Amino acid sequence: MLQVILYVDPGSGSFLFQLLIGGFLAVVFFFKLAKNRIVHFFKKLFSKKNNNNEAES
Amino acid sequence: MKQNPDPSHSSFRDPNGYVFLKEGIIYRSVHERYQPHYDKLMKSGLYDELVKEKWLIPHREAEFDTTECPETYRILQPVPIPFISYPYEWCFSQLKDAALLTLNIQKTAMKYQMGLKDASGFNIQWKEGKPVFIDTLSFEIYQEGEPWVAYRQFCEHFLAPLALMCHTDVRLGLLLKDHIDGIPLDLARKLLPSRTKRSPSLLLHIHLHAKSILKNQTTTKAKPSGKRFSKTSLKGLIDNLESCVKNMRLKDDSSNWVNYYEETILGKEYLEHKQQLVKDFISELHPLLTWDLGANTGVFSRMLPEKTMVISFDHDAGVVEKNYLTSREKGEKNILPLLLDLTNPSSAVGWNNKERFSIFGRTTPDLVMALALVHHLCISNNIPLAKLAAFFKELGPWLLIEFVPKEDPKIQELLKFREDIFHDYHQETFEESFGQWFTIVKKSSIQDSGRSLYLMQKIG
Repeated sequence: MLQVILYVDPGSGSFLFQLLIGGFLAVVFFFKLAKNRIVHFFKKLFSKKNNNNEAES
Repeated sequence: MKQNPDPSHSSFRDPNGYVFLKEGIIYRSVHERYQPHYDKLMKSGLYDELVKEKWLIPHREAEFDTTECPETYRILQPVPIPFISYPYEWCFSQLKDAALLTLNIQKTAMKYQMGLKDASGFNIQWKEGKPVFIDTLSFEIYQEGEPWVAYRQFCEHFLAPLALMCHTDVRLGLLLKDHIDGIPLDLARKLLPSRTKRSPSLLLHIHLHAKSILKNQTTTKAKPSGKRFSKTSLKGLIDNLESCVKNMRLKDDSSNWVNYYEETILGKEYLEHKQQLVKDFISELHPLLTWDLGANTGVFSRMLPEKTMVISFDHDAGVVEKNYLTSREKGEKNILPLLLDLTNPSSAVGWNNKERFSIFGRTTPDLVMALALVHHLCISNNIPLAKLAAFFKELGPWLLIEFVPKEDPKIQELLKFREDIFHDYHQETFEESFGQWFTIVKKSSIQDSGRSLYLMQKIG
């Protein structure tokens, strides 16, 4: 919806820009969190295995 | 308590409260309209968490007379800051740490359904060697679906100057002196090299953001109804800004002065004797606040006792950076490295030239140190000794100052390609000029050099 107004809040460009990029940022953040969780899971898994091996030896 | 009718000159933008000074104590008045936000900050656990982390300045609620202070919800007495400094006096890493603190506070506030409504660099000060957030009224209750209202301010106050210092020239941080509301993003975009467009974060938060601001100044759109900025988007925005700031590194070629003591200083004997003399001269002074002018990387600033707060000034961004990193690494609580060009010191700026104080309009020092500095001011900047003495007498009661004679190899270097027009630059003229305003309490020549160290006390 376009509407011409006389005075513009100086933050309006920033406001609209955030609405525009919001979806993209959410997707990037979602994948980053997912990646971190996967990395954390494997790190935990391997550290458990290493601990078990050390305990056995 | 009766409110001071004249609020501090730098506290007028936020209608939710203001800062004022009464009997030498700083207070912050909280307006009734801010009550829901203030209560949420205090009761939700956010204030406690931020204060525990030492990210937010603690305060106590002062008693006041409601008839004398109408529409006032609370009057706060925050813990005082030892020395007020401004973003244009910080080195790159100080600005970076201040930016990261702002984002950390925003992230923490989001856990409590709150957020920062502004992200000004002036909301950060330095206490015990670390940045601390001082504007208790910057918190507001989070409105689901709303974008981050402080996004543009964060980009202009932190991201743009950091990117310019990192990718163009470290001296561009000084643009914040002229742009106290932050560096306009369209200006930053023009000054940044085009390779910064290859960084997705800088492309987004500076280049495209600037375009959007410019575009929407001419083609105005109404606030889109029904379009929401989800909390995940907000988290993504803060996370992306944080990664962008964290990834910024200063190039290591920014200064000739960083290795001054290791490479270019006179003899080792000179340095050791000077250190011994400095220690002896100040041993009985016990200053609470010291200004070390021309401090370089802070070698002599670190000779002062821990009880003394030392503002370690230098005009070179590279040495201030090194000084700050050393201080941060050692966890020093009493050293504050700051950028200051003595030939063009921070002046009073902002609204009515009163919004931000000049460097000399802040807390005055008990002791001023000016080691190996006089010749730079007199020879490199043509400042006559009489003017220099008159300048120092305005600063503080005690002065520790080194005189470097014209025969000194460092001065000879300065005069190598220029005519010696400094006919009055002699030790006798130095003592005569400073003797007008100071009593020479101690004086000693420094071994392995023709230099002398003086401890002077202001007359009267």
